[in-house]
Amino acid sequence: MRQGFFRRNATMVIVLGLIAVLGVIGWITMGQQPFVRTALSGLTIGALYFMVASGLTLIFGLMDVLNFAHGTMFMLGAYLGWQFYTNPTFLFGLFPLVLALLAGLVTSPILRGAFMHLKVSEKAQKTIQTAVALTGIAVIVLAVRGLDILGLAKTAMVATMTMGNPLAEASAQEPLALFWFRPVLMFIAGLLLATASARPGDQTQVVYASDKRRAWIITGSLLVLTVIATVFRESAPNAVLLWNGNLRFFAALVVGALCGAGLGAAVEVSLIRPLYIRPLYQVIVTLGLAYVLRETIQVLWDPLAYQMTRPPMFSQPGKAENILAWFSGQNLTVDVLGVTFPSYRLFIIVLGVLMVIALGLLMNYSRLGMIIRAGVQDRTMVEALGINVRRVFTIVFMLGAGLAALGGIGAAPFIPVQPNMGDAFQLQAFIVVVIGGMGSYSGAAIGALLLGLARAFGDYLALKYSLSPAIAEASTVIIMAIVLLVRPAGLFGKKE
Amino acid sequence: MDNILEINGIHTYIGQFHILEGVSVTVRRNAITVMLGRNGAGKTTTLKSILGLTPPREGTVTYNGKEIQGRRAYDIASLGIGYVPEHRAIFRNLSVMENLKIAERKKGDLESKSEFIFGLFPDLKRLYRLPGNHLSGGQQQMLAVARALVADNQLLLIDEPSEGLAPILIEQMMEAIRILSAATTVLLVEQNFVMASKLAEHYYILDDGRTVHEGKMADLVEDKELIHQFLGTALHKGGRS
Ligand SMILES: Nc1ncnc2c1ncn2[C@@H]1O[C@H](COP(=O)(O)OP(=O)(O)O)[C@@H](O)[C@H]1O
Ligand SMILES: [Mg+2]
Repeated sequence: MRQGFFRRNATMVIVLGLIAVLGVIGWITMGQQPFVRTALSGLTIGALYFMVASGLTLIFGLMDVLNFAHGTMFMLGAYLGWQFYTNPTFLFGLFPLVLALLAGLVTSPILRGAFMHLKVSEKAQKTIQTAVALTGIAVIVLAVRGLDILGLAKTAMVATMTMGNPLAEASAQEPLALFWFRPVLMFIAGLLLATASARPGDQTQVVYASDKRRAWIITGSLLVLTVIATVFRESAPNAVLLWNGNLRFFAALVVGALCGAGLGAAVEVSLIRPLYIRPLYQVIVTLGLAYVLRETIQVLWDPLAYQMTRPPMFSQPGKAENILAWFSGQNLTVDVLGVTFPSYRLFIIVLGVLMVIALGLLMNYSRLGMIIRAGVQDRTMVEALGINVRRVFTIVFMLGAGLAALGGIGAAPFIPVQPNMGDAFQLQAFIVVVIGGMGSYSGAAIGALLLGLARAFGDYLALKYSLSPAIAEASTVIIMAIVLLVRPAGLFGKKE
Repeated sequence: MDNILEINGIHTYIGQFHILEGVSVTVRRNAITVMLGRNGAGKTTTLKSILGLTPPREGTVTYNGKEIQGRRAYDIASLGIGYVPEHRAIFRNLSVMENLKIAERKKGDLESKSEFIFGLFPDLKRLYRLPGNHLSGGQQQMLAVARALVADNQLLLIDEPSEGLAPILIEQMMEAIRILSAATTVLLVEQNFVMASKLAEHYYILDDGRTVHEGKMADLVEDKELIHQFLGTALHKGGRS
C-alpha cells in the first residue's frame, strides 16, 4: 500500500524533492537572509497565482472553456472588495437593483409556459425576441441613469484626503422617494429579458411544473429581498463603516469573493451556456467580456491606480519579534528567521495555503469534487449517470470566479488597484495551468508554487548580477517549456 | 404495459452524418433483448439516442408509456435507466468505490446495493480502494456493469460487455447478466453471438442505421442464412471464443 502511494504520487514527490534540493542549494549559496526573503516573496506571488489558476484549470478541465475573463474577475474582486472596505455605499446602492433584475430574470420558466402557445410565425418570433430584449436593455439604462452612487473616482479621492474619519468616503444617496422607481424599472427590465429568453411562440419547448413552481418561489423571495435591500440601502453602509476595520476587511474578502462568484454564475448562464456547441465563440465571448468589464470599471472609477489601505491588524507601526508577538502587536512587519517581512504578505501566504487545503478537501471528499474529477475525464458518462452536468458547470464557473476575485481583494492592499491589474496574473495563471496539467487542481497548486518561486528567485538573480528583469519573467516560460518537453500533458495532466 | 421501452423509427444525426435512418426496437419488461449487427451498424448510437446523448431528430422513444425523446440526458437517466458504455468507460482517475458512489441517485444507494454487487463481482470488494486505472480490463468491465447497478434502475443498456474479455471472464459476465436480469430489464448490444443467443429472448438486427430483422432468439439460432447475411463475421468471432 505504501509503495502504491509513492508510485501514484511520483510526480508530486519528484517535483517537491527538486524544489527542496534547489532550496538547500539556494540557502547555502545565497545565505540565510536573502534566501528566506526571496522564498517568502515567491510564496506570496505563488499564493495569488494559485487563486487565479485553480479556477482556470477546473473550468478548462471540466468545460473546455478557456476563460479569458478570469483575470478580469481578479480585478473586479479587488475593486468590489476595496469598495466594501472603504465605501460600501456603492455596493449597497447597487444591490437592490441587481436583486430586482434577478427577480425579473428568474421568471423565465413561468413566462415560457405563458407565452409559448402564442400564435406567431417563426420570423415574427425572432423579431419579437430581439425587440423585447433591446427594450429590456433600454429600460436598464433608464433605471441606472443619473444614479448618484456612481461618482466613485471623486469619492475615492476625498477619502485619501480625510483619513481617520471612517465615514468620509460614504457618498450621499438619493432619498427613497426618488430612488424607488429604479428597482421597479430593473424588475421590469428583468421581466422583458426573461420574456425574450422564453422565446414566445416557440411551441417545441418543454416546461416542467417543478421548474415553474421553483421560479415562483425564487422570484417571490428575491422581491422580498429587493424591498429589504432598498430600505436599508442608506443605513447599512454607514453601519458597516463603523465596524472594526479588521472585521470590515474580512467581510470585504467574503464580499469580494461572493461578488465574483455571483458574476461568474451570471456569465456562465447568460453567455457561456448558449455557446457550448460553438467552443470557439466561447473564447471570443470571454475576451469580449473582459474588455467590456474593464471599460466599465474605467468609466466608474476613471483609469486611475488606487491604493487600498491595509487593515489595522497588519499596519501597527514597528516590527513583531516573531509570529506570536504579531498576534498581540499586530505590526506592519514580522521578523521571520532574521528577515523583516510585511505581515500582510504572510497573511496572503496563509490564505493561499488555506485555499489549497480547502480546495483539496472539496475535490477529494465531497460529492461535488468527485463529480468534477469524473467530469474532467468523461462528462458525457457523468451525465448518463443522471447528474445535471450543466449545473455542475455553473457551480464550477462560480467557484473559479469567486477564487479569482478572492485573490484580487487579497492582493489589493499591496498592488495598485487599477483596471489592468488582472492581466499579468491571468497570463501567469495560464502558464501555471499548462505546467500543472489542464483540469488538475493539485497541478495548479504545484505549478503556482513553482512559478511564484521562479519569479522571486529570478528577480533576485537579475538584481544581483544586474541582468534585465525580463529574466525573471522569461524564467516562467522556460519552466513551462521544460515541463512540456518532459510531459506534454503537464505535470498532472490526465486529459486525453 | 408489457413494453418498458419502445423506439419508433428514430433518425439520429452526428454532426452532418445521418447515422440512424429509422431504428425501431421494442424492449419487453423483465426480459433480455439483444441488438445485433456488424461494426458500425448503429447499435451504440441507438443506445445513446435512447439516453439523449445523441438525441434523435425524428421518431419517438417511449419509456414506461411516456415519450422521452428531446429530454436532457441526465433527466432521462434519472427515470431509472442505467448505462454500461462500450470500451469499459469507467472513471479511471476515481477509485473503485468512487466509481460506484458517483452513480448514487439518493443517499444510501450504494450501501443497500453493495452486497448484491459484491455477490456478482467478488473481485471489486478486494479492489475497493484502488484507482480505476489499476484495474485489469476484465475488472474494469465488471466495474462498469456494477456502476449501473448502484441506482434503482428499471432498464439497463449494456454495450458489448464481452468485448476483449478472456473466455473465462465472458462466462462470469454472462452469469452476472443472467442474475441481474432477474430484477431488471436489459437491452444488450453484443457481437458475441454465442453469448447473445444464450442470454436473450428477443433479438433485433441493425444494419446501416436501420432495423432489418427482429424476432425470437430461438428462431434466429435456426436460421443460419440470416445469421450469415447480417452477422457473418460476428458469428465466427463469437463461435470461436
Ligand atoms: N462521432 C461520430 N462522428 C461521425 N460518425 C460517427 C461518430 N460516431 C459513430 N459514427 C458512425 O456511426 C455509425 C454507427 O456507429 P455505432 O453506433 O458506434 O456502431 P456500432 O455500435 O453498431 O458498431 C458508424 O458508421 C460510425 O462510423
Ligand atoms: Mg458500438
